[in-house]
Amino acid sequence: MSKVLSLRMLAASAVAVAFMACVPLWGDDPVVGVGINLLAWVALSASWIIFSGLTGYVSLGHAVFYGIGAYVTALLWLSVPMGVSVAAGGVAAASLALMAGYPCLRVRGPYFVMLTFGLSQFVKFVVIEIETALQIGGRLIMGAPPLQILYWLFLGMATAAIFLLAVIRYSRFGSGLRAIREDEVAAETIGVPTVKYKVLAFAISAVIPGLTGGIMLMRSGYLEPDTIFDPTVSLTMICIAVIGGGNTPATALLGSLFLVGLSETLWVRFPLVYMVLLGCLLVTFVLAVPQGLLGLLASLTSLVHARGGK
Amino acid sequence: MIDVVFSAQLALAAIAAGAIYALVATGLNLVYGTLRLLNIAHGDFVMIGAYLAFWIFALLDYGPALSLPLSVVAGILLGLATYKGLVSTLTQRRAHSERLESNSLLAFFGVSIVLQNGTALLFTNNIRAYRYFDQVITLGSMSITGNRLLTLVISTFLALATAAYLRFTLFGLATRAVIQNRDASSIVGINLPRIYVVSLCFGFSLACASGVLISMMDPISPIMGFGYSISAFVVIMLGGLGNLFGGITAAFALGAIETYGLAFAGSNYRSLLVYGIFVLVLVLRPEGLFGKSQANR
Repeated sequence: MSKVLSLRMLAASAVAVAFMACVPLWGDDPVVGVGINLLAWVALSASWIIFSGLTGYVSLGHAVFYGIGAYVTALLWLSVPMGVSVAAGGVAAASLALMAGYPCLRVRGPYFVMLTFGLSQFVKFVVIEIETALQIGGRLIMGAPPLQILYWLFLGMATAAIFLLAVIRYSRFGSGLRAIREDEVAAETIGVPTVKYKVLAFAISAVIPGLTGGIMLMRSGYLEPDTIFDPTVSLTMICIAVIGGGNTPATALLGSLFLVGLSETLWVRFPLVYMVLLGCLLVTFVLAVPQGLLGLLASLTSLVHARGGK
Repeated sequence: MIDVVFSAQLALAAIAAGAIYALVATGLNLVYGTLRLLNIAHGDFVMIGAYLAFWIFALLDYGPALSLPLSVVAGILLGLATYKGLVSTLTQRRAHSERLESNSLLAFFGVSIVLQNGTALLFTNNIRAYRYFDQVITLGSMSITGNRLLTLVISTFLALATAAYLRFTLFGLATRAVIQNRDASSIVGINLPRIYVVSLCFGFSLACASGVLISMMDPISPIMGFGYSISAFVVIMLGGLGNLFGGITAAFALGAIETYGLAFAGSNYRSLLVYGIFVLVLVLRPEGLFGKSQANR
């Protein structure tokens, strides 16, 4: 607990958040847009790490929570206050995780990975079928708040996700989750309530993508089932975590910075090249740099320290 | 409606679909069974085979007589490259082998993205197709296009050849021993790396060959492989991971479910059906229809 929540860390985070909060005051719309992307990915990847990073159960379908959040928000749009519809998206995502969690988390390893992917595709096609049956080509979201407000909402999401990850990681609950990752049977033997912990972590890590999906819907102003449930969303969360390395708040920050930087320079002009590069990066980091950018950075600093000591 | 259910025509369509799934899934199963690697890029090797066949037809005007053997060569080369570049690292490092299955899935996911988008870069995202041997052949009450019949014959032959290889050759028997118990087969002197390389090449060749067959019937595109990866995973999960003969049975089951499902529900529901089965199987019987129980709790 004390390690993350030390006064120095808190002060540094407060300064960082305050700095990020000021960006819309001087930045123009494109800058704010990039900021939104960055914050959204920090929020999404941090919540992915809360579950998959800590428990070792790789979820290949976190886009389903993002999508369901956006979809529920769109369904309730303007019939209830905005805040309520976004919150309902978060609740829907958590409920889906709770419902799916128990049957899904019975299976491990490859089965679990494939199941999360299958589930997210299944929900996607269910939503597409519903929309087709209702003969709605796409839903327009009118009257969304201005970009600056949305930016601050994303900042809130990112801060909440990072804070949640930091708190959980160093709590008793987080130690239980990490014990599950190292050896589930042993964890259970020494008294970790593995099923409860896993399902709870799954649900917690679904809430923020659910809310983020709703807010992103307000940003895009348009709902299309194909895009909100895009498997690329899940893939990007994983890439950020793998490239970042480890399972700390810094992982999400560093990985998101790297990936958003890459996508801002390449994605617009050369989307295919960007995707090829993303694939290569995923392979390279999984195979050759399992410790990620964070690990590389750590070994670099220790090298510098060793040099300095001489 | 009843006469649709019992028509020989629909049954033939179901068998033809099943034969292709069997071929694609056997390759995937062989790789999973021996190496315990989840090759999510398997369908992209199908796609490579399909593009090979397309270009051989478009540029040289040759059909599967040339593209089929070439696709096998391509599969072997891809298998060797994958072994050198990816698999040997994944299986040898201790840090990796502990989380081998998840890691292999992520690495192959990367490979899949590279292959899909690389193909799109080279040949654009356009859907392509060519016409080969598409006269309708009538057999009693059934009619089938020539290329579908040819596909059925070739894929049955390839599946039987694979089964014979695994049953009657020493190397095939060794492969099955590795699938059953890796450590024990290593103790009795089976050369594991050799089995790995050969299984990888064999599996990829089957994938590329399936791609050649598929390209004769259906339009091809850089993203076509993804659907085949998923179908192949449905099949090998249904049949039990690593269980080759269970997988072949499951392939025909999936072919039948899909064909009859579409006949009743309409083609809109295809994805819904495939993913629905996929999720149901994993939730209800993750060890497969023929497997022993492995789920914890």
